[in-house]
Amino acid sequence: MKMEKQQEILMCIQQVVREILKNDSIVLDYGTTSSDVKGWDSLTHMLIMAEVEKRYGIRISFRELMKVGNVGDLVSMVEKKVN
Amino acid sequence: MAFLSLDFAILFIATFLLYSFSPAKARNFYLLVASCVFIAWNNPFFLVMSVLVTAFTFVAGRVIEKFQDKGKVQLIHALSIAVLVGLWILFHNPAWLSGILHIRSGAAGDSSIVSRLICPLGMSFYTFQAIGYLTDVYWQEEKAERNFFDFSLYMLFFLKFLSGPIERFGSLIEQIRRPESFDYDNAVYGLKLIFLGMLKKLLIANYLSPYTSDVFSNVNDASGLQLLMTCLLYPIELYSDFSGYTDMALGGARMFGIRLSPNFNFPFSSKSTAELWRRWHMSLSFWVRDYLFVPMTALLRRWKAAGIYASLLITFSLLGLWHGMGLSFLVYGLIQGIIICLEMRFSAVRTRFERRVGTRIANVVYIIRTYLLFALSLVFLRSESLADAVEFITRISFVPHHSWKEMNIGMSDHFCIVAGTTLLLMFIYEAFSVKHDLIEKSRELPSWLRWTIYFSLFFALFSLGMFENDNFIYLQF
Repeated sequence: MKMEKQQEILMCIQQVVREILKNDSIVLDYGTTSSDVKGWDSLTHMLIMAEVEKRYGIRISFRELMKVGNVGDLVSMVEKKVN
Repeated sequence: MAFLSLDFAILFIATFLLYSFSPAKARNFYLLVASCVFIAWNNPFFLVMSVLVTAFTFVAGRVIEKFQDKGKVQLIHALSIAVLVGLWILFHNPAWLSGILHIRSGAAGDSSIVSRLICPLGMSFYTFQAIGYLTDVYWQEEKAERNFFDFSLYMLFFLKFLSGPIERFGSLIEQIRRPESFDYDNAVYGLKLIFLGMLKKLLIANYLSPYTSDVFSNVNDASGLQLLMTCLLYPIELYSDFSGYTDMALGGARMFGIRLSPNFNFPFSSKSTAELWRRWHMSLSFWVRDYLFVPMTALLRRWKAAGIYASLLITFSLLGLWHGMGLSFLVYGLIQGIIICLEMRFSAVRTRFERRVGTRIANVVYIIRTYLLFALSLVFLRSESLADAVEFITRISFVPHHSWKEMNIGMSDHFCIVAGTTLLLMFIYEAFSVKHDLIEKSRELPSWLRWTIYFSLFFALFSLGMFENDNFIYLQF
């Protein structure tokens, strides 16, 4: 159940990244970092974060944002906040 | 004390010998003493000022860490930064400082005191290090330093004191805590880097500098063609000067086993202004990104793209003002911010253009476009005033006063050949350096070839090098 929920969040984040970066070929996994994805840089990072917050109706603090090292960290954080 | 002076050579060699043949505990002591001598040599007041800022930052870091109350910590962090920024602004604005001294002393504006005190060397660089350190402690990314001696070396280390790189606390303090003993490979690598820096400075920057300075000082007398050529050459001069300085700083530090942060990564290969700022003066642009831009975009992220644009404009305006408290510096920064906003806004146009003409042609167009825009913006950084910069840019044309020979902006053929050849060699070297560490690779060459290259470059440097100008452009910031 937990795995399914995480997978669902991962797919949602992948969709957000694809929309913001306008690239449907992007595939994310838990270990992906922003530097692995073309166009995911300091200019687009907060757009992605804001969209994830909006889709799940959550608020991520600045310190939490700073601690996100890869997509897996973001998935865990969203999962924790949604529950 | 300039890097390219006999005083500095003596200080550096003496420190290197003492460092290399002393026990581990004494090594940092010699580095700190050398740093204090280096700073005080220029002006004892500069040492007093930098030690005061160091002591203040050290205490503030401990206080920030000690308090548990979130509100108090936030207040202390904000106040500490306000003090550091306030001091920096005060010393970068002679008129304000003069006014304060005038009121305090009641004297009729003793300009000699002001001229001796204003703008302590290296202040922009160590102030940014101090702010970065306090913010790292505040964000709990780093623990406050307990050892004032080590912290002072982090702030005052003489090889990066004048013009950076702006070092992050975490990366440098670890190296300071574990001073390396003499290492032959480090010493050779460092020497090669110093030599490379000298080539850039003495065979390119110093060759161009008198002629571009002449045009910038006499904009009204220069032809449109001379202004155009000066505008195109100034980025090369600035790059050769600043990256030459940085190579010398990195090379010197490497001889003590310390690896400072790189400042440049083949910037003129950038295909956009945003990319340029990830390759140009990296220690400053990454600092600004991490401590200003990212927090600001986080704060404004509800505004979506508008928040990013606002953050870009504010961040780059402040980056411009870091160079000095003038309107032309502000415009220099704003231009960078506006271009990056436009690049973001019209990224789809870029993609369409790439599809239409092919990636290779598009890349060449983007590289040229990025260089030209950067060259134009640098006119604002270099000019004495905003009016001079506007006058310079509006008068740029392909029209000479007398003949097309004005393209050389007064340089003799000999100068053009020396600077041009060195520039070409530098670009070839840097293009290959993107994938390989050529200094390291050079050890694999047969010794006869390696020594032929060393001797040729050594001969070129000392027979053709322009040693008259030992000042670096970024010292003024």
